Amino acid sequence: MSDFNITISPAQIEYLVKPNATIIQAYEINNNSSQDIYLNSEVLPFLPQGNSGSVVYQNIPVNPNINFSLNNSDLILGQPFLLKANSKQQLVLKIKTSNNTSLTDSYYTFFVSQVQKQNNANFPQASGKIGSHILLSVTNTENISTKGSINLFKITPKIKDVFFSRLQFSGEVKNDSNYFLKTSGQITLTKNDQVLKEIKLQPLNVLANYYRQIDCQNLDNCTLKGPFWPGKYTVTLSFDQNLKIPSQSISFFVLPLSPIIFILLLVGIIFGFKKLFPKA
Amino acid sequence: MKIKIIIFILFVAIIYDLSSTTSLAQSFTSPSYHIDWGNFNMTGGKKSSTNYILTDSVGQNAPGQYNSAGYTVKAGFQYAYIQDYKFSFSIDNLDINFGTLSPSVGNTQTNNISITTPTGHGYEIFTSQNSPLATLNINTTIPDTTCDNNDCDQTTSGVWVDNNTYGFGFNATGNGTSNYFVDSTYFRQFANQQTGESPQIFMSENNPVKNHSAKITYKINISPLQPEGSYQNNINFTAVPKY
Repeated sequence: MSDFNITISPAQIEYLVKPNATIIQAYEINNNSSQDIYLNSEVLPFLPQGNSGSVVYQNIPVNPNINFSLNNSDLILGQPFLLKANSKQQLVLKIKTSNNTSLTDSYYTFFVSQVQKQNNANFPQASGKIGSHILLSVTNTENISTKGSINLFKITPKIKDVFFSRLQFSGEVKNDSNYFLKTSGQITLTKNDQVLKEIKLQPLNVLANYYRQIDCQNLDNCTLKGPFWPGKYTVTLSFDQNLKIPSQSISFFVLPLSPIIFILLLVGIIFGFKKLFPKA
Repeated sequence: MKIKIIIFILFVAIIYDLSSTTSLAQSFTSPSYHIDWGNFNMTGGKKSSTNYILTDSVGQNAPGQYNSAGYTVKAGFQYAYIQDYKFSFSIDNLDINFGTLSPSVGNTQTNNISITTPTGHGYEIFTSQNSPLATLNINTTIPDTTCDNNDCDQTTSGVWVDNNTYGFGFNATGNGTSNYFVDSTYFRQFANQQTGESPQIFMSENNPVKNHSAKITYKINISPLQPEGSYQNNINFTAVPKY
């Protein structure tokens, strides 16, 4: 029974690079299988899709000013190689930008794919492929200037109860610059001008001129469990100053709905009891 | 006498000065090679505790970033620090051997996909087929399923339980598949590269995972009129991290 079991490291690289410069990046490819495997390598450009870090590879023009090759003495990009069972191979990727490279971002995936055998079998055969992303910012300066905006910021549910509500924060950030940025920032929950909770955002990449939903560190689905004191709250989504993303605040009320309902029910039961069983 | 003492002290000072300027560079030698190293760091690496992770290097001469036209040199182990990122993808059985097919009976085969992603990354897995199931001479094909209600394709799943619905498709159950398949009765087609369809995501998660797996069920149902033959194709699974 043949299998595919490959590890690639690193899973993503992020580089600032000048035009007419060269970067060398070593990848380690592990064959974790007990069988030898023939692999091939390629680099494909990608575009972002959706707001959660998905990518798409179809119909993307290749940038002729960014060139990829392998620096291994015995391998070239696109040439199949044998990786023995339970062994590893270092692939050294050379990325070269020409003088004419536009000062903007380019995104690629470095793929290692199983070479498909000529299928002479009388059944379907599967094969595997694994990729590592390359986020390349071509720039003449180390201090890239970015700017962005908050597309969306909301808190659910609409009606918030002191005991039974879970506050879920969701938002989407738009990157209005030509370079990717990271969602470094926080959500701050305040009541009566006192900070009750600071939730750090996951530093997710928002690609150039694209958008991405925010996520929270150490908080599943950015959801805060109750109970909450009744009253007016303000929640602010803010980002690190250097990102130049204006912060956004929302105010909301937490109401003592469940205690009121409980008291009304209790009064109703007592009142009903008294009606049904009046004192003799 | 005083002059002799002064000359002696000066002599000792010059010797000390010369000896103290000895280079601390390292060199490695073999019968064929001699490699001189500009410096030799004392310690460096990644240290961690419950609350902190520290990466350091000690002993690097002139660490920092140096720019010139076309080049940036980032000197020091800190710049060469390799992220401890591992991204693993496995498929446990690549041969989807159905054996002899019986008409009007849903024949199924399974294999398992497993994935591990590094800190800060979710993943997505695409799949596609090079062509529909076809005999070696490509005279006859088994069409891709359109499911019981003629409502599934490579992007949408549909219920496929009727033995009078013929075709080839797949289902996935397990981690990261619930957005693509409601349950194990839902199937969809593989995207067909031959007709220019793009590979489709059928398994994805937004957060880092360790050994998350899904069972892939391949299903063929042929009509009694399906010509005899050995049908085959290539199915590709591609895993990439979320950026």
